[in-house]
Amino acid sequence: MTIIEKIFSRASGNEVRPGDYIWAALDLVVMRDFGGPNVVREYQSYFDNNKVFDSKKVVITFDLHIPARDERVARNQNLLRKFAREQNVRLFDVNNGIGQHIIIEQGLVRPGDVVVGTDSHMNLLGGIGVAGFGMGTTDIAGAMFKGRAWFRVPTTIKVIVNGGLQEFVGAKDVILFILKKLGTDGALNRAIEFYGETIERMNLEQRITIASMVTEMSGDIGFITPSAEILQFLGLNTNLDGIVADPEAQYEAVYEFSVTQLEPQIACPHSPDNVKNVREVAGIKVDQVFIGSCTNGRFEDLKAASLLLKGKKVKSGVRLIIVPATMAVAQKALTEGLYEIFLSAGAVVTNPGCALCTTGHPGILAPGEVMVSTSNRNFIGKLGKGAMVYLASPATAAATAIKGVICDPRDL
Amino acid sequence: MIIKGRIWKFGDDIDTDQIYPGKYLPLTDKSEMAKHAMEGTNRAEEFRKDLRSGDIIVAGKNFGCGSSREHAPVSIKEAGIACVVAQSFARIFRRNAVNIGLPIIQMREIGEIQDGDILQINLETGVIENLTSKKVYSGTPCSKLELEIMKAGGLLRYLKEAR
Repeated sequence: MTIIEKIFSRASGNEVRPGDYIWAALDLVVMRDFGGPNVVREYQSYFDNNKVFDSKKVVITFDLHIPARDERVARNQNLLRKFAREQNVRLFDVNNGIGQHIIIEQGLVRPGDVVVGTDSHMNLLGGIGVAGFGMGTTDIAGAMFKGRAWFRVPTTIKVIVNGGLQEFVGAKDVILFILKKLGTDGALNRAIEFYGETIERMNLEQRITIASMVTEMSGDIGFITPSAEILQFLGLNTNLDGIVADPEAQYEAVYEFSVTQLEPQIACPHSPDNVKNVREVAGIKVDQVFIGSCTNGRFEDLKAASLLLKGKKVKSGVRLIIVPATMAVAQKALTEGLYEIFLSAGAVVTNPGCALCTTGHPGILAPGEVMVSTSNRNFIGKLGKGAMVYLASPATAAATAIKGVICDPRDL
Repeated sequence: MIIKGRIWKFGDDIDTDQIYPGKYLPLTDKSEMAKHAMEGTNRAEEFRKDLRSGDIIVAGKNFGCGSSREHAPVSIKEAGIACVVAQSFARIFRRNAVNIGLPIIQMREIGEIQDGDILQINLETGVIENLTSKKVYSGTPCSKLELEIMKAGGLLRYLKEAR
């Protein structure tokens, strides 16, 4: 069996095969500040004040419109706070950060768990071997009530990445390169398992970057089996039997890539798979640069940017916005002197959270403006009508902020 | 379940920001959401003016890709769309549609179907008839579990009854 088949067999109590429709028991149900209020309304309209299936297995995280940007959002957030009190479930308020990262930092998930939440990037949890799935409000309301959700068991494809990476080339460049090869529907209705020395060498943040962009390939989930080092970092002593594929596991396809020669990559407007070498589009003038997001908002990401920004200034006329993924990341960045570097360079550093993921957050672009972002999506209109968004690594983003034009970090 | 209606045709990769732009996410009233259905597409104006209850959307591959927002299928359903036919659906959109009771069906050969044609769809058998061109196609019906949820009127009604 593949990893997802093993996890779903355990969670459904039956041996499953790809294509089966199953009900799986859930280990954690998560809702966030948007999406969440509608989950609560739906829940209460169908199930009144019935208790959730297990108050320890439901978590609320505030990560998008934080702190509340208008009265409607403030009312929605209070609705969630009230629900959390009544149901006795944990709520991570505006001073925490991105939900998936919070539940990892708080030790609320373990490899092999099945987790659902109202965020399309729940599947970044695959980076630590957790089966995380983004779902809509109705699904989450039902999941909170019953503690289970329905799934179609996906087929699995294997992606093997080998080779050492050049200087300034990282996990984001690797996943953009894979996106270019597989396309935005390349993993539709499929799970991915990532293998190979390049992946195995990756630290926690790099694994999260890789797993998070399985969403942009329309994949259900992308697994990276945790190394001993990752388990130690997570403070877990988990038996990996349930999340290691059997030698005779069946794969729908196997892709093998060598990344030895890989250059910094960039996804051009308006699709995450419209990927080129950064040098092919170097010189394009930018108005704004964003470093953060659930894909690239962890300490190592900020560190990579800081190495280039140290002692430098953001180009006059360019806005650099930096947003740590969580408060723990922010605190480490503070202790290690990154804030000094960022603020001296002229960056805006905001409170931890999702930030520039979609309209509704400060930092949205005017028509015709150009941004390089370390986030995961550049769909048309997502960050302002008529805006042009490029997706790249923290290093490429930092180099671009300094130059004021798209810049390969090797050419800085 | 048989559905008959007039076609609105769309292309590939219609993402959730085109179906329901992110700026309307704070809306919670379903009839308000309905006013913004397909507002991010290049047919927004037409769609708002000429949509009739019972119309059907036919689209290319990966319909509903993008975010997990349920506003997308809700806005379409509340606007009066009776069914969405697509070459393929994004995973989250597909399950959201099932969960709120918006009928969907997958069909590969959408090439010959023209905007304005009248289609008749049998959700159980997958037989799709173009009443305008008199051609018959075979779509891929949803699974038994999905059809049960759709027919119950959505997931929550289904779960409530199952308890």
